[in-house]
Amino acid sequence: MNGDRSLSRVVVVGRDVDLWLGVNALCAALGPVGVQVVAIELPTGLKPSDVSTTLPPLEALHTKLNIQESALLRLTGGSFSLGHNIVAVSGRRGARSFFHAWGAYGAPIDGHAFFPCWLKAARNGFNLSLQDFCLTAVAARNGRMLLPDEATAAFGRTDYGYHLPTIAYVSYLKSNAIKLGCKLHEVQDVSVECDAGGSIATLIVDGSLRVEGQLFVDASGADALLIGRSLGVPENSWRAHFSVDRVLSARTPAFTAIPPFAEIRPTGAGWTALHPNRVATGVVHAYCGNLLSDAAALELATTASGAKLADVACRPASPHVRARVWEGNCVAVGGSACSFDPIHNVDLHALQLGIVHLLALFPVVSGQFMAERAEYNRIMHSHYERIRDFQCAFYALAPFSGEFWQQARNQPVPQPLAQKIALFRARGEVAPMEDETFSAESWQALLVGLGITPESGSPAIDRISLGRLNDEFRRILEFIKSKVLEQPPHDRYLDSLCRS
Amino acid sequence: MKDDTPSRPFRVVIVGGGTAGWMSAAGIRRQLGTEDYTVTLIESDEIGTVGVGEATLPHIKSFNDMLGLDEAQFMRETRATFKLGIQFRDWDRPGDGYIHPFGAFGEPWGGVEFQHHWLRALQAGRLHYSLQDYSYAVVAARDNAFEFPNEDRKSIRATYAYAYHFDAGLYAAYLRSWATQRGVHRIEGRVCDVSRDPTTGDLLAVTLQSGERIAGDLFIDCSGFRSLLLGGVLGVAWQDWTHWLPCDRALAVPCRSVGALTPYTRATARPAGWTWRIPLQHRTGNGYVFSSQFISDTAARDALLAVLDGAPQGEPRLLRFSPGRRERAWCGNCVAIGLASGFLEPLESTSIYLVQAAIADLVKLMPRPGAKGTDPRLAAEFNRLNEMQYERIRDFLVLHYVANRRHGEPLWDYVRSMPLPDSLAHKLQLFRSRATVPNYQYGLFSRDSWLSVLIGQGIIPEGYDRLADACTLPSLEDLLNGFRTRIQTNVASMSSHGAFIATYCAAAGVVVAEEAAA
Repeated sequence: MNGDRSLSRVVVVGRDVDLWLGVNALCAALGPVGVQVVAIELPTGLKPSDVSTTLPPLEALHTKLNIQESALLRLTGGSFSLGHNIVAVSGRRGARSFFHAWGAYGAPIDGHAFFPCWLKAARNGFNLSLQDFCLTAVAARNGRMLLPDEATAAFGRTDYGYHLPTIAYVSYLKSNAIKLGCKLHEVQDVSVECDAGGSIATLIVDGSLRVEGQLFVDASGADALLIGRSLGVPENSWRAHFSVDRVLSARTPAFTAIPPFAEIRPTGAGWTALHPNRVATGVVHAYCGNLLSDAAALELATTASGAKLADVACRPASPHVRARVWEGNCVAVGGSACSFDPIHNVDLHALQLGIVHLLALFPVVSGQFMAERAEYNRIMHSHYERIRDFQCAFYALAPFSGEFWQQARNQPVPQPLAQKIALFRARGEVAPMEDETFSAESWQALLVGLGITPESGSPAIDRISLGRLNDEFRRILEFIKSKVLEQPPHDRYLDSLCRS
Repeated sequence: MKDDTPSRPFRVVIVGGGTAGWMSAAGIRRQLGTEDYTVTLIESDEIGTVGVGEATLPHIKSFNDMLGLDEAQFMRETRATFKLGIQFRDWDRPGDGYIHPFGAFGEPWGGVEFQHHWLRALQAGRLHYSLQDYSYAVVAARDNAFEFPNEDRKSIRATYAYAYHFDAGLYAAYLRSWATQRGVHRIEGRVCDVSRDPTTGDLLAVTLQSGERIAGDLFIDCSGFRSLLLGGVLGVAWQDWTHWLPCDRALAVPCRSVGALTPYTRATARPAGWTWRIPLQHRTGNGYVFSSQFISDTAARDALLAVLDGAPQGEPRLLRFSPGRRERAWCGNCVAIGLASGFLEPLESTSIYLVQAAIADLVKLMPRPGAKGTDPRLAAEFNRLNEMQYERIRDFLVLHYVANRRHGEPLWDYVRSMPLPDSLAHKLQLFRSRATVPNYQYGLFSRDSWLSVLIGQGIIPEGYDRLADACTLPSLEDLLNGFRTRIQTNVASMSSHGAFIATYCAAAGVVVAEEAAA
């Protein structure tokens, strides 16, 4: 029974986005039910060049936190992102550029999903690129924002993420958290006292102040101060599936016209990503230290981004998941729970999932948390693994040339992904699995974009004639063309939004 | 590269008629082109069908819609009635009862699921109504009322779905006539021999007692419990679940209809199992599902006949089965659909749903004309989905047994203390401690279904979601009262199930009990 034993205090330890997005969400949800949220903030690990690139669901979380989009973009200098443009500059035979957009690809035809219709046409010699049927992708490539209306809603999903300069985003989140009523300690250092049962009893900050709590959230990123260093929960390495072990970040001056998408440029030795925003363009180069020195990475990234890089930092990357993300009375969210490969920018979304599920399972009473812990560990591992699979597919199937890609293609893939790829090759179907972050359309865009042509298509589509498909395709392409012309250029839209 | 110009059509051969066979034949015929696929069904009028699956789930409507069946005509032909859920009597302990509705309980307030608000009011001593009173479908079912759900999705009259009770034999016959008119080739006969490719082991042809030999590219085993091809010829191993679901026999007998036409199936717990009651337009279907470890066939027969509403129509028919499934439903070029692939007792009316789900998956994964052999990647996906379906339903069925207070009855004492599948033990722990209900995207059952049975079986969680405390108790009371009143007012204006059937779809010569709603 809820009542006197109710948990009344949660302590969040960490830094940067992990800490402040977590504290915001906990304050907004738990403040009204009388739970006090204590934030213990460690010194930042951010560089001026860091950009947070987000997935569409963040907007809904922001709304719950009372964060207005216009204020957010005005104060951070952020911009919209309609998806990822993957540009094949160094292709093997058949490597093409493709756009992974946050929107629907095509619209249903005679009650059938679009993709198998497209596949039938492609297998019958129609030379039509899948991405040309994606309204969001076409708008993005034309430098436009996509504002949904009744017609686009009937056509299909049109979503977006953001590119947010991270330091500004964190300071915005921090001031919002204070408005929401969190108690803040800014500290240099935290140590932990555990009780006999292996749970956290007290935090000692800066060697003197003792902070007690019933539940502790580890938002300390790669340091994993509580879950890793104090409680000793090991990491399960994903190294076998990922080659990238170094990530360079830097920035170049902002584009004059800011593209509403991220661009990923595979090079012979890794890949470079550009994350445009109104302050600067964030540049990331992901590579393997054994194949490329930091200096050579800098040279490659400079070439790929076509401008001189500033604020350069090189950091190690070690993809892994924590064996248990809820241990005792400690819950790990963000980087302390799971460390992802940098492809597809999933960090913030994984953080969001960790927070949302913690709230859904927020303990009723102080105590052992047995049921909550078992469920949280089960569901978070499932979510993290599906994200890992989507990332792993990019490397396993990459049609790019160079030693790095050769190595990436030779790495083993997790079994659920192997099954997923096998089925897609055989039939063009995306195997439905629980707890997916990426939709079937994202998988289709990725797998087709990487050059898989399924060996057969859905037999149920045989009944639609090629002529009928041709007519419908033309109708869809015309709709997209006219809709895109109605959209405002991304810059103009940003300007008007930020003035409002 | 092109897969649209095969040299000859792909030959699908279905062995066995009945519901599974004819649903498969019709579903494939409707969805795949006649130039590319031929469908042949072999059945023997000498072999009876099981036909215990007379109660269905709402999914059946989308199958019928896909075929393009006219609902009223289909209901007339199969003597069908509507179903808003299943009433479970005496499952927790004698005298108790609850309905598992095809619908929602309450609505989420402040982003928090309804059961948490309900529990909070209950724990605060502010509530005197059961969870059941907050489900539109439950209240309508209790009133013997029926109307179609509202199309305006915001209406409280859109918070439910419906299924049917029908005569499975008539449904199979109806689909048989539908399918044979559209090119499905029906052959009367019994399979007496099966020839296989000596290298691949694939099935090549079946030979009938008449001597006729029917060759195929893919064989669908709809032979029921015998599992003639998958189990018999291919020897795919059986996974036995008797330790979780001890019932292994059923006696079935129809009786005369008596009283008002209920829009729900009834499942009543009995000392050695449970009895079903399925109201059709022209009669009531009954049966006793029992465990032979705990009662003799004769005693079960007497017990069944003693609880019928009306005069029995014939002698009860005995069926023997084992709960469980074949480890792979698709092996080589043979796919088992229906009882040939596995059996789960009809407690939650899942048999026809499993058939429907298997057909949908098979149509997606069907080999293409001209394909050499069966692609193991397609079979692997079919088997993955099939296993997921079976295991999720299994856990839900076992739930009905584990949480019982029928102390002193050997069957019920056994199931209360048996070791559970890990997946179910986890769900129970989570619900008991904090009212969190399992949720998943694929397969049966929904959150509301789990909730109805968990609460119905008398499990009252110790705690509820903290976030529910954000609402003040007086305003929560207002919300709860308002919601319950909305249901009552709306249900009061519905027509009775009997009257609705009489005007919408009564079969010729059938007089439907038209008593007003109670």
